[in-house]
Order: sequence, then C-alpha cells, then structure tokens
Amino acid sequence: MEQYLSRGIKEVVTEHPKVGEVLSARGIACVTCGVGTCRLKDVVEVHGLSLEQERDLLTEIAAIIFPGREVEIPAIKRKIGIRQGELKYSPPMQTLVDEHSVIKRMLALIPGILEDLDVSAPEDRRTILAVVDFIRSYADKFHHAKEEDILFGLFEPDLEILKAMNDEHGIGRGHVRAVLAAIEKNDSEEIATRLLAYRELLTAHIRKEDEVLYPWMDEKLSVSQVGELFSRFAATDMQFREIAARQEAFVKELEEITKNKEELTNV
Amino acid sequence: MFEACPGSKMADLRTIDRQEDASGAKITSQLRQWPVQLHLVSPTAPYYQGADVLLTADCVAYAMGNFHSDYLRGKSLAIACPKLDSSQEIYYEKIKSWIEDARINTLTILVMQVPCCSGLLRLAQQAAQDSGRKVPIKYAVVGIQGEILKEEWL
Repeated sequence: MEQYLSRGIKEVVTEHPKVGEVLSARGIACVTCGVGTCRLKDVVEVHGLSLEQERDLLTEIAAIIFPGREVEIPAIKRKIGIRQGELKYSPPMQTLVDEHSVIKRMLALIPGILEDLDVSAPEDRRTILAVVDFIRSYADKFHHAKEEDILFGLFEPDLEILKAMNDEHGIGRGHVRAVLAAIEKNDSEEIATRLLAYRELLTAHIRKEDEVLYPWMDEKLSVSQVGELFSRFAATDMQFREIAARQEAFVKELEEITKNKEELTNV
Repeated sequence: MFEACPGSKMADLRTIDRQEDASGAKITSQLRQWPVQLHLVSPTAPYYQGADVLLTADCVAYAMGNFHSDYLRGKSLAIACPKLDSSQEIYYEKIKSWIEDARINTLTILVMQVPCCSGLLRLAQQAAQDSGRKVPIKYAVVGIQGEILKEEWL
C-alpha cells in the first residue's frame, strides 16, 4: 500500500478505475483533473480529511487494489493539521476567491454568447474579442499572475499540486490561442468548441483552488507570509486597477445585455 | 441567585492532569523587546517597523503553556487588559499608528475566552477600520487552560 501512496493519482485511477469512484463519492474530483500528477498521499492530506475519514478511504482503496488480501493501512504523516469547520480564507486568499467569482460570472455567460454565433458578423466578432481580452487581461495577466508569480513562489516549486495548477493554466492559454486563430479563420464552430472547453477547464480548476488548494495553502503559510502576500497583492491591484475595473464593468455590462435578451425572449 | 462575572468567576484547576516535560530543557524566551505593556511602548519603536505584531490580553501568556513558541516567536509584542486598563483611547491611537506609521505586516490579537476580553478585538478592529492602510488581522481566543478555542483571519 505504501508504494501506491507515492504514485500519481491519475496512474492509480487508470490502473484501478474504481479508486476514482471512491474518491468521487467523497467529493474529491481527481478523476476529472486534466493533469492528475498529485500523489495519492498528497490527495488525502490536501483535502483535509479527518484521521477516521483517511483510514476509511485508504481501507476502501486497499480493498480495490488488493482484493481479498489483508493490507496494513499506513497513517499518512501530515505536514498540516486536520481542517475543521467552514472555510475561512486569509485576507490575501480571499481576494483570489473574490476574483474567481468575477471569472465564474464570465464563464456563466459563455454559452449564451456562443448561441447562434457568427464570427464574421462585426458585433459577434467584437464580443468574442472582448471575451478573449477579459480572459487574457483579467483571468490571466491580473489573476493568474498573482498566483504564479507571487503565491506559488512561496511554496516548493516541485510540489505536484502546483505543477498540476500551472499545467491547467497552460492548457487554458492554449484554448485562448486557438480561439484567436479561429477568429482569423472566421471559424465559429472552433471558437465555440474552444471556449466551452475553456469554461469546463476553468470551472473545475477554480473549484479545486477554492475548496482544496487555497485552504491547504492557508494552513501552511506563516502569519508573516500572509502579510507579505497581502502587501504584494495590494501592489498588483494598484498596478492593474484600471484593467480590473474595466473588465469587471465589462462582465456587468454583458450580464445586463444577456438579461435584457432573456426578458425579450420571454415576452 | 448571584452569578459571578465570567471574567472573574473562580475555577480551581489543580486537579487537572498535566503532561510534564520530562526533558527538563530550559525553554528559551522569544521576547524581542522591552517594554511590552501597551501604555509603555512607542508604536513607532524600531521593533514594530514592518513587523508581525502580537497584541494579547494580559492573562493569555499565563494560560498558554506554549505561548512563546507558538505565538510570540518572530513577533513584536504588546499586552493590555481591556477590562481594567484606563485611558484606552490611547490604545486606539497606538494601534492606528502601528498600521499607518510603523507599517506593520500583520496584527495578531490573542484574548481569553471571557466576554470582557473581546473589547480588545473591538478596539483593534475600530483602529484598523479607521486607518488609511489595511493589514491582515488574525484573531484567536484562548481557554482558561490554554487551549485555542477559535482562531481565524478577520
């Protein structure tokens, strides 16, 4: 069992798909993760399971991997404590969660934007370019820059969970490049495919960060590091204040347009 | 029937089982400054500049066995009693000055579980709210046997 604890979760789930079902039943979404290089023991630690939950989970997993055999269940040596009560973020982490809320509002608008999309029509083209501009300037430059350049820098760079998050940022950027290429070719279908893929990726990515990564990081950060993050995020906010304000206003405007369209349809 | 104020209600803790430190090792003090009482400190003293500041109610350090290693280590300190101390408007000004003038990195407030102790949190929150600069504030409540009952970022 020890050796399985040190293997990548995707590898374990591929070899034993039922392990994925056991994780999913506990709300641990490793099966849908696009990267899946986190080690099984890190998955247990990072989700803040209680010792009882950890033992139950590992017992179920052991029964799948070694059917009919009695296996000793090792206790995972934890670097952080067991999470208790509802999630409460440190102030800098809360700012990232708040930015996620803005990004999620944009993601929610994407299916409506793609309905009857004709990128050769000037208005549709402008909207898609504006959505790409939001993703690039707000989600990527402003928000992901805070994560990649500041927050992740406080942790060991070879942590699998950070590599997985960075890989997902990279996959997202790939979708955006493909959208831009499709705009050049007036290919509305490819734009829709890529934006929906981006939406799906980011929705799962944000959930992982809000519910798993940030609480885990908050437990590991010292009080002094929280203060340092807070100051550095405040400096980034100042640097990007115009872009952030413009993009937040754009999401609001798009929400108004969508709402008006829906009201007209319902009349 | 008369109920004592929870802050001064008697509790005899002599019969509680305690885990003794068998090593007999001397515990090193983590105190990095003098004075420590909030009326006596200057909020712009060098050890407050850009520091992680710990503001605790007077009783906390007596209740918590690991106060030095768990909370004081790496921080600059001030102590106060929100129930008995006078002229607490000076405390408000000093906390504000920590944030604005000494540009502290963080403020951690440690109080006892008794209701009167929450006055220290309210005072610090008011000073922080009225400051032109924001800092992360952490708040923890300590039980009379030194256990952490609550700890959160505000």
